[in-house]
Amino acid sequence: MKLLAVTALSKSFRERRLLAIDELSLSAGERYVLTGENGSGKSTLLRILAGIDAPDSGVGHFGKRRFDWSPYPDWLRQEVIYVHQQPYLFHTSVVENIAYGLRARGVEAGERERLVAAAIAWARLGHLLRTPPQKLSGGERQRVALARAWVLAPKVLLLDEPTANLDAESRQQTIDLVQAFCGPETTAVIACHDRDMIALANRRRLHLVDGLIQQNSTPTL
Amino acid sequence: MGFLDATYAALRLLFSADPELWTIVGVSLSVTLRAMLIAMPVGVGCGYLLATLRFPGRRALIVVIQGLLASPTVVVGLMLYLLLSRQGVFGQLNLLFTQTAMVIGQVLIALPVLIAFSLAAIQGADPRARETAVALGASATRVGWTMLVEVRFALLAAVCNAFGRIVSEIGCSLMVGGNIAGVTRNIPTAIALETSKGDFAQGIALGIVLLVVALGVNSAFAFFQGESRR
Ligand SMILES: Nc1ncnc2c1ncn2[C@@H]1O[C@H](COP(=O)(O)OP(=O)(O)OP(=O)(O)O)[C@@H](O)[C@H]1O
Ligand SMILES: [Mg+2]
Repeated sequence: MKLLAVTALSKSFRERRLLAIDELSLSAGERYVLTGENGSGKSTLLRILAGIDAPDSGVGHFGKRRFDWSPYPDWLRQEVIYVHQQPYLFHTSVVENIAYGLRARGVEAGERERLVAAAIAWARLGHLLRTPPQKLSGGERQRVALARAWVLAPKVLLLDEPTANLDAESRQQTIDLVQAFCGPETTAVIACHDRDMIALANRRRLHLVDGLIQQNSTPTL
Repeated sequence: MGFLDATYAALRLLFSADPELWTIVGVSLSVTLRAMLIAMPVGVGCGYLLATLRFPGRRALIVVIQGLLASPTVVVGLMLYLLLSRQGVFGQLNLLFTQTAMVIGQVLIALPVLIAFSLAAIQGADPRARETAVALGASATRVGWTMLVEVRFALLAAVCNAFGRIVSEIGCSLMVGGNIAGVTRNIPTAIALETSKGDFAQGIALGIVLLVVALGVNSAFAFFQGESRR
């Protein structure tokens, strides 16, 4: 089932046309690995899909609902979460970071605490609750950011090179978390260079070359 | 009276609960604190809007505000005097030579400092902070609040800087306050008066109080600036 689709998406910086995508559609229950050389526009594409940047033109559909970027609709922000390559953690606490989106959605305190506790257990962050977020290691930050996204149960998860700069163990943990994140109702796009995400089930490949998406229809092994 | 005698007398004054001296200190702190209470939300709010919104004339406005950072306080005092004097636009309000006039003057002096510093603080924030807040579904108000919390140390530094500037400013307070004993006589205007009268003890005692306040505020400023860079 098609969950998120964009058509005629284009984005240029100055003279340079970075993205020119006729059609890109993401199905529920699949995970997509987005590859491409440095500067091919992977981050830009994910940021556009998440409504952080706007394309020059383009139309999108979420399920049956049409949307565009003028402005990116608030209802869609509730469904799509983008995680930076180096996630930014607010200078508060691990718990407050995870609770941030729940507060923004007006989830009442009791429910919020329950969900945050579940997210902490899910990402195995229990021992880090007293550490100031800025003092966490790269892998730990990544897990806090994933927990912060997971707790909102987004339909579309966009991860920008979640395993770059991580050692083998953190990498495996992150991959496991990404795997556990995705369900039959959701989709995920994971930008990466290497074969980190090879272990991911139901994985399809999106390859960006010269601003075009090469989308293969069958899951790669 | 020699300098040493005067200093000795000043210390005696400081520790003797001299009512006149502490009234002056009270006027200074009360006027400056009230001015800060008004100027802080306005200054930080304007700084945030300037950092966030794009509108025609924005660059020019920023240049003007940065220019006002260097405006001599006597000039602010002069303008305010002209507005508040009997013939002035706000003459009927009878505000000249009141604490309210001093508060207004100090607000005007503090505002450019607060606006320019909070603008710089928010522009200097990591762009991912705003993006993360937006991506997690925060409303515009919540994004704004989050940004202010993220740069809180830089904002505290701005507040200390503005406080230090207006607590020690003399030009405007003298002109629109009038240095009336027990009412509008604050530390800087009293020091100037006592010194001109040759009463160095009172002047030195007040100078010590002002130094302690200014030093405290400046150490806080340095501390918050350090914290905000971490
Ligand atoms: N705001 C901008 N202004 C001008 N050029 C930009 C801007 N943002 C991105 N670019 C350019 O667009 C290109 C694509 O950037 P992007 O970050 O999307 O690439 P990427 O595929 O994520 O690369 P990497 O693998 O290094 O992360 C780069 O050449 C970059 O310089
Ligand atoms: Mg990138």
